[in-house]
Amino acid sequence: MSNEHTVKSYEEELRYLIDSVIKMGSLTESQLVDSMDAVIKVDKDSIDKIIKSDDEINKFRSKIDTQIMTLLVKRAPMAIDLRETISSLKISQDLERIGDLSKSNAKKVKPLPLDLPEELLGNLKRLGDLVIKQLNDVLDSYVNKNYGKAKEVWEKDEQVDDLTYIAMESVIDFLSKDKKNLDFSTHLIFATKNLERAGDHITNIAESICFLIKGEYLKGSRPKGKVIQQ
Amino acid sequence: MELMNNVKIKSKNLNVYYGEKQALFDVNLDLNEKEVTALIGPSGCGKSTFIRCINRMNDVIDICKVSGNIEIDGVEINDKNLDVVSLRERVGMVFQKPNPFPKSIYDNISYGPKIHGKGETKSELDEIVENSLKKAALWEEVKDRLDEPGTGLSGGQQQRLCIARAISVNPEVILMDEPCSALDPIATAKIEELIDELKKTYTIVIVTHSMAQAVRVSQKTGFFHLGKLIEVGKTEKIFKNPDNKMTQDYITGRFG
Repeated sequence: MSNEHTVKSYEEELRYLIDSVIKMGSLTESQLVDSMDAVIKVDKDSIDKIIKSDDEINKFRSKIDTQIMTLLVKRAPMAIDLRETISSLKISQDLERIGDLSKSNAKKVKPLPLDLPEELLGNLKRLGDLVIKQLNDVLDSYVNKNYGKAKEVWEKDEQVDDLTYIAMESVIDFLSKDKKNLDFSTHLIFATKNLERAGDHITNIAESICFLIKGEYLKGSRPKGKVIQQ
Repeated sequence: MELMNNVKIKSKNLNVYYGEKQALFDVNLDLNEKEVTALIGPSGCGKSTFIRCINRMNDVIDICKVSGNIEIDGVEINDKNLDVVSLRERVGMVFQKPNPFPKSIYDNISYGPKIHGKGETKSELDEIVENSLKKAALWEEVKDRLDEPGTGLSGGQQQRLCIARAISVNPEVILMDEPCSALDPIATAKIEELIDELKKTYTIVIVTHSMAQAVRVSQKTGFFHLGKLIEVGKTEKIFKNPDNKMTQDYITGRFG
């Protein structure tokens, strides 16, 4: 946004909404980092904390919903303000879903054995690190209203797909070696899939940001990696 | 593919001066047939001056000077030889404040057709009155009291009476200068509903200070500022994603 609104309280309400989305984003990012950490380190002590932080994220979502409804009713926003309001709604929905997926992954730590092979975790970690970076970049592009960066995130989801494929393969490999691994391997497959889905929500956020900035949706279909094409 | 209606009114390099003061600067604007065009902009931006050029209402102001062209159906209306009375028959106008004549409801409607020689017999006039009131969605409310004064109606009804009066001479264009600014939300909704209906038959130009109204009623919107047409385009585009920063600042309330 450029000039300020003539009505100061309108300006404040919009600013407050954007701030809420930024705060929700940073909370979602920390939760994703923590849940990834818990999976890789098989740290069962941190599960409760991660689950609890999801409540905080959900609260933000309801708060943002209320703020949006108030803005729509009070201000009937137009043009950039309308797009700002609508994208806040969409972005907060995607953030909430990412939060749910991180929580789900944290819950999967419980049945994991402490001596998982390094290669297996290594592939999962590479995927997790990329998803975390994607979330960080997309939030950065939201804060700085950077169209190019948001579009880059959108395109880079292809790499998330590829790493998902690799991580999945290594879990299946591990499972095929010994049927005893079935129980927790299933959890690891779900955890991998959750990261891939978090990646999809991140691309949704990137799309919302591009729409917010230019007023039009990204054209063409997003480059897709191996896992999707299977 | 979206079809665009034909251009009904075309202004080319239109300049208007009130004495020394220039009120419009080189306005080039096409208004499509059977469509509603909304003109928005801060007070004094020239939007009312613009619509008053379309039926040469500015002629009545001595110090007003108009240069440039306005064509209706390709015919220049600023031509000195043009019959202004018949122009105003083709281009009706509704004002901000309802202004019925201090006469009966019936006379309010029949006056125009009478002076334009449109209803020669009583039954012809009766028909025009009924049809005009029906088109203005007022017939049901007033059919049993056509001899009562028009000024006795509510504000919203008076405005619809003025619209019926404008319609009675069978115009092609209806100009509306803030037609709802003196009305409550219900009366406003009735006028907006009426505009939706009327656009099937007439080309409508509406000046409004309500952005929400412009979005609701129009297909095309023009934004004026300090006598210049800053941006014109499809209404949805103007209010969702305008090209011009000044337009955006105005419609989002970031002006001045």
